[in-house]
Amino acid sequence: MRAPARAEGAIGWLGPTAAAARLGARRAGAQPGGLAFAAVFYLMVTSVLAGLWATAADAAGGDIVGYSAVALVWYIAASESAVLALPQRLIEDVGIDIDDGIEAELLRPTPLIVVRLAAEVGGMLPRLGACVAVGVVLARIIGGPAPDPAALAIAFPSLLLAVTVNLAAQYAFAGAAFWLRDVRSAWFLYQKLVFVLGGMLLPLEVLPRWLELTAKALPFSAMAYAPARLASGHLEPELLVIQSGWLAAAIVGTAAVYRAGERHQIRTGA
Amino acid sequence: MTVSRDARANGRDAVDRGDDEPPPSAAEAGSDRPEPPDPAPVPVWRVLAATSTSAWREALANRAGFWSQIAIMIVNDVVWVVFWFLFFDRVGAVRGWDLDRLVVLFAVLTTSAGIVLGLLNNARRTGQLAATGALDAALALPVSPLAYLLVRRVEPVNVGDLFFGLGLFVALGDPTPTRVAVFAYGVACAVLILTGFLVLVGSLSFWAGRSDAGDLGFHALLLFSNYPVDIFGGATRVFLYAVIPAGFVSSAPARLVDDFDVRLALGTGAVAVAVAAAGATAFTVGLRRYTSGATWTRA
Repeated sequence: MRAPARAEGAIGWLGPTAAAARLGARRAGAQPGGLAFAAVFYLMVTSVLAGLWATAADAAGGDIVGYSAVALVWYIAASESAVLALPQRLIEDVGIDIDDGIEAELLRPTPLIVVRLAAEVGGMLPRLGACVAVGVVLARIIGGPAPDPAALAIAFPSLLLAVTVNLAAQYAFAGAAFWLRDVRSAWFLYQKLVFVLGGMLLPLEVLPRWLELTAKALPFSAMAYAPARLASGHLEPELLVIQSGWLAAAIVGTAAVYRAGERHQIRTGA
Repeated sequence: MTVSRDARANGRDAVDRGDDEPPPSAAEAGSDRPEPPDPAPVPVWRVLAATSTSAWREALANRAGFWSQIAIMIVNDVVWVVFWFLFFDRVGAVRGWDLDRLVVLFAVLTTSAGIVLGLLNNARRTGQLAATGALDAALALPVSPLAYLLVRRVEPVNVGDLFFGLGLFVALGDPTPTRVAVFAYGVACAVLILTGFLVLVGSLSFWAGRSDAGDLGFHALLLFSNYPVDIFGGATRVFLYAVIPAGFVSSAPARLVDDFDVRLALGTGAVAVAVAAAGATAFTVGLRRYTSGATWTRA
C-alpha cells in the first residue's frame, strides 16, 4: 500500500486547512452557551485581577513599575483575553487523542498538525472575540480610556499572534504523548509558566530583574505579555516582530515533534 | 442511624450481578437451612468509612500517578505563593493585607479545598451526576445518597492541595496552639461552606438539567476565595459575603487566625451551617425530580 501522497505541498494543503478553520469557527459559534460561559468566566477573572492591581497601584501612590492603575487594568484585560480565549485543558485533550489512537487522522494527505491547528485557530476566534468585547468594555468602566489608542490598535493583531503561538506551543507540549504514557496533567504546569513567566498575572517588570530578562527571552512572554504591554499604552511595535518569530519557531518545532511522533507511531504501532 | 447487614449484603450482591433484582432468600432458593437471626445493625459511619476506604484504595491503585498528581498540585500552589510574594514585595500592604496574612488565607483555602475537592470530590460532580441520571447506584444503598456520594470518590490531584495547605500553615503560619485551633475551626467552616455551596449549585441540575451554572458557581467561589475580600469595593464585597460566600471561605477564617473575634467566629460558623443545610436540602428535594439515565455507574 502506498503512503498517502503529500507531494502537493503547501498549496495543496490550503483547501483542507481553510475548511478545518471554518469548521472550527462554526462549531464554536454553534455553541452560544460555551461562548457565554467563556465570556462570563473571563469577566469574573479579569474584574478580580484588574481590581487587585488597581487597588495596589492606588495603595502604592498611583504607580507600580511604571504602570498606572489605568494601564494595569488594560494590561490585565488584554493578558486574560490572550489566555482565556483558549481551552484551558487543550494539552490534556490532545494527549488523550494521541493516547486513544490518532492513526486515522495520520492517513490524511494533509499533515495532522496543520489541520488540527487550523481547526483550533478557527474555534478560538469566536471566544477571543467575546473576551475582547467584554474586556474593552470592562477596562473602560473600571479603568477609563485606553492610555494610548495607537498602542491599543496594535494590541489586537498582537492578541491574535499570542493565542496562535500559545496554541502551537501547547500542541508541541502535548506531542510528548507520542512517547510518554501520560502527559495529561502537564497542562497544569504549562499553564503556570504562562501565568507567571508569560506575564498573565502580572507585568514582567514586577519580577526581579534577572527573572524579568529571562521571562522576556522565553516564548511564554509572546503569549500574554506582548499584547498586554501594548494595550497598557506602551507603543512598542517590535513586540509584534518578536511574536512573529516565536510563532514561526513554534510551528516549525510543533511540526517536527509531530513528524517524529508519526514515525514513532508507524514504527511501534503503539 | 444504622444499617442492617442484610441490606448491605443485598445491595452489594445486586451490584455484583449488575442488576437491581433482590437476591433470592434462603427459603426461595430451596435451602433447608434456617434464616440466620437478624444481626446487629451496622452504624452508618462504618458504612461511610468503608466507602471512603475503598475510594482511597482506588486512588492509590496507581501509586506513581497518585504521587505525581499530588506533586503537580503542590508545584501549582507554590507558583501562587510566589505570585503573592512578588506582589507584596513590590506593593507592600494593601488594605490591611500583607504576605503573612495572605499566607494564612491561602493555607485555609488550599486545606479546605483539598478536603472538599480531594476527599469529597463528588461534591463538585453533583450536577453532572444528577443531570446524566447517574445516581442509581447511590439510591439503592441503605445510607443517605448524598453522604455516600460525597465520600465515594478521592481525587489525588486535589489531595495535593490538602498537603500543601497544612504544610504552608506549619511552615509559615506561625502555628501556636491557639492559632492552630482557630485555623482548624476556620477550615471546618470553609469545608462546610464549600461542600454546601457546590452541592447547592450542582443540585440546580435537578430542575435545570445539564448546564454550566454549577461549573460557573464552582469557579467563581474558588476564584474569589483566592483573594482578600477587602481589596474589593462595597457592592462587590457584599456580593462576596452574601451571594457567593467566598468571603467566609478564606478571608474571614484568615482574619480570625490573625485577630480572633467572637462575633466573626460565630457568624462564620452560622453561615457554614446554613450553607451546608441549604445544599443538603436542595439535594434531597431535587432527588424527587431525579430521572434515571438507565446506566449503572459507581458514581
